[in-house]
Amino acid sequence: MKKIVLLTFIAILGVTLIGCNSAPKLRILNWGEYINDEVVAQFEEATGLNVVIDVADSNELFYSKIKSKTTAYDIVIPSDYMVEKMVEEEMLLELDYDLLPNRALVTYMEGVNQIYDSMTATTLARTGDTVDYTDYAVPYFWGTFGIIYNNRIEGLEESLQEHGWATYFDADTYFPTARRGMYDVAQFAYAAALTYLEENPNDYSASLLTQAEDVIRDANFTEWGDDTLKRNVESDNLDMAFVYTGDYLDRLYIQLDEGKTLAEVQADFNIFIPETALVFIDNMVIPYTSENIEGAHQFINFLLDPEIVALNSEVVGYATGLEEAYDIIVSNVTSEDPWRQAWATANLTYYNKDRAGTYTPMTALDPDAIDAINTMIETVISG
Amino acid sequence: MGKSFKILAIPYQVWLSVLVFIPLVAMVVISVTNLNSTVTLSELQFTMEHWVLLTQRPTLIAFRNSLIYAGSTTLISFVLGYFVAYQIFRLRIKNKFIVLTIVILPMWSNLILRTEALLNIFSENNILKSIMGFSLFGNIAGTPTAVLIGLVFTYMPFMILPIYTALEKIDYALEEAALDLGLTPMQSFWKVVFPLSFRGVVTGSILVFLPTMAGFAIPKILSKGRIIFIGNIIDTKFIYTNYNSGALLAVILLIFILGSILLMTRFDKEGETLL
Amino acid sequence: MTIKGVSYPVATLQEYGYRDYSKFKAVVKVLKTVLFFSILFMLYLSIIVIAIQSINASRISSSFSSISLTWYPNIFQEEDLMRAIRNTFLVSSIATILATIMGTFFAVGMYSLTKKKRQGLMLLNNVPILNADIVTGFSLMLMFRLLMPLFPNIFGLFTLVMAHLFFTIPYVILSVMPKLKETDPNLMDAALDLGVRPYKALIKVVIPAIKAGIFSGMLLALTMSIDDFVISYFNTGGGFDNLSIWIYAVIGRRNLTPSVYAFSTLLTLFTLIGLMVYQFLQRQKKGRKSGIL
Repeated sequence: MKKIVLLTFIAILGVTLIGCNSAPKLRILNWGEYINDEVVAQFEEATGLNVVIDVADSNELFYSKIKSKTTAYDIVIPSDYMVEKMVEEEMLLELDYDLLPNRALVTYMEGVNQIYDSMTATTLARTGDTVDYTDYAVPYFWGTFGIIYNNRIEGLEESLQEHGWATYFDADTYFPTARRGMYDVAQFAYAAALTYLEENPNDYSASLLTQAEDVIRDANFTEWGDDTLKRNVESDNLDMAFVYTGDYLDRLYIQLDEGKTLAEVQADFNIFIPETALVFIDNMVIPYTSENIEGAHQFINFLLDPEIVALNSEVVGYATGLEEAYDIIVSNVTSEDPWRQAWATANLTYYNKDRAGTYTPMTALDPDAIDAINTMIETVISG
Repeated sequence: MGKSFKILAIPYQVWLSVLVFIPLVAMVVISVTNLNSTVTLSELQFTMEHWVLLTQRPTLIAFRNSLIYAGSTTLISFVLGYFVAYQIFRLRIKNKFIVLTIVILPMWSNLILRTEALLNIFSENNILKSIMGFSLFGNIAGTPTAVLIGLVFTYMPFMILPIYTALEKIDYALEEAALDLGLTPMQSFWKVVFPLSFRGVVTGSILVFLPTMAGFAIPKILSKGRIIFIGNIIDTKFIYTNYNSGALLAVILLIFILGSILLMTRFDKEGETLL
Repeated sequence: MTIKGVSYPVATLQEYGYRDYSKFKAVVKVLKTVLFFSILFMLYLSIIVIAIQSINASRISSSFSSISLTWYPNIFQEEDLMRAIRNTFLVSSIATILATIMGTFFAVGMYSLTKKKRQGLMLLNNVPILNADIVTGFSLMLMFRLLMPLFPNIFGLFTLVMAHLFFTIPYVILSVMPKLKETDPNLMDAALDLGVRPYKALIKVVIPAIKAGIFSGMLLALTMSIDDFVISYFNTGGGFDNLSIWIYAVIGRRNLTPSVYAFSTLLTLFTLIGLMVYQFLQRQKKGRKSGIL
């Protein structure tokens, strides 16, 4: 028995040692399946770094992972409000733009600039500090939120285009029997309700909270989900849901792979993006845990190369933040390859850079406000 | 057994005190103070401000949901699980290891995959409908029934195993004696077999009740997010770094759970019948 | 029956209170069998659905297009999935083996304690099983972090195994303890009287007697370890993600490849086939003699 114990320990030791690759490492904390493996391979070849990727499914988990310092991550890809929170808690390093020569060669899209501006504005209002978020963050992907809908329902599309948010929230007036779904992130529901009420989705007050609660209650949601929302609309088990536009494109790409055409998919289910759109942006940032700051800059610089970004976009259904990469993607609209052609058309349709309307990110709220919003949603759900 | 093995328990005592006792004390402290990641020791103070949570409707409803569903799940699993365990026992299979493995095998697949698979076929338009043309379960996704089915058939192995183990220990001669003494098979079951297997029932009930009560993934998926358990709220509090409220709920849940264990283990003073 | 022209009605068996239950019993037996297999079917329902999803040619899991086995070889193409599977097996097998060995010895040690001390320990032993996962995960992480000044790269396989030991050992102890109680206390004394050294006696005499408890403890430990997400998430690091962490992360924003279903199906099938082969070999080898347990 002693031998067994001994052997096991030796085995553990052995495996731990084997795990140590000699090449310098670059540790990335990313969302699941949120990068093209091809991009990673090219980066490793170009720099000789060994990229190690950990994955998680929420900004909050990113936060706790960085805060706990249990792994020396060099790159994290949090969304807008989490970047704010991390900057506020001094968890991020300022970027050294001398190490990012590609930055000067590209232009951020108008929507991206709008998001960074709103983040600065809300931070100023909340804390009194002026922060230029481009000092810390470089866009990875961004995108709008929209209302994914079941186009098999007669008149729903027209109603959404005519009445917008009201079709979704005002269940008494529009399509009372439609099955409505909402993301199970309380702040998303709150922000969507405020947008419908034509208020600033990043404001918080007791009266706004009550108004939002009424709106959300009246919408009579039959589902509070996440990845299930898009699949349920696709399979005719749900009629409307507030989701990431990327959720729709994700399913769209899969349907295209199955041999359907863009028009066929749109006839089954589609997404409506309101003029006053809520948006998010995922950013590459360097957390204070980084032990390979130079490598982290190399990585960010690599992903400021339009060709690489376009390549990355092929597997991820979100929008690029670089105009040059956008141009490469949409130039495929004349491609012989039907997939590429549909891919370009989808980007032109759903992420068009000349789209009319405004972009508002959901910014970091005060922890007490977050707690109150969470409780409000729990109250609505509990009935 | 020789007292000379006492020494073997020492590492575990140390292990438990470091990894269970200290965090437990810390949790109690966090639940009655303002301690969190940004508060330094000098600012530390006693507060029960966040205890208002306990009077909020969602919290109460979540506690009620957890209790009701855990209770019903335990009851249903007991009835069905006892039946299964008894039938397997009657088959007199020699190799217990095989029985155990077959019963527990579904649990080796990922819980989320399994629950989403159930959600799939509980929905109106699902994969089985596309094959058979009709929906086996109708459209029960999002209803309490769906949640109950999911909970019962996920945790039932934990009920079957200890009952089977308890049944297996029963001396067959006892049953024969009962029959010889003129008891009908039904009477001999209720008067002899069932009381002797009751320890297994207690163990099984604990093993089903606890994870149902503290868990949240299955109700969340199968109710389509419409039924909130206390586990959901604890999870949300911790994820949004509201540790004080989270710890408070966790402590209450733990007191609750330990209390119910003490209650149930009156049948077995040391709570050691678990399998 | 006629006596002097007077006829008396013949009492039937029924009139004596006899009722023919044989039909009823047959019906009950059929019902029992049906119920038994329905419950078994329900236990495996999710696994069956996963299996169907794994042979669905379409990536859209809500409708079946045609039968295809492409997702099976595709498992090996999915690098991240493969890595996660390898990590899961590595962590679970190390944790299960260690938990079984350590849990058994701990149980023996605890069994030798005074009753009061043992009861106290048993109560603490229950906490890892009972506590909400996120609380356990979080507190373990905080404790392991205290070691970081000494071992900066501790987070990864090591902490993951430690965390898994934390919640698997209690199950082993819970399975072994009752078996220890059942063993004949004279067994050990007899061995000692024969001049066997205590630890040798423990291994040669006691362990074989409690083998059944050790095995079921091992089975439970493996079951708990192989599918853990929350505790693992907080206690891993250095790129060491297991299958659950990977599944959660992918399912949230993107789409799972059906190869995950294929892997799940393979795991179940291989175990079932393995069990059958094992049972068959046992029969062959030992004739009517019972299996190892």
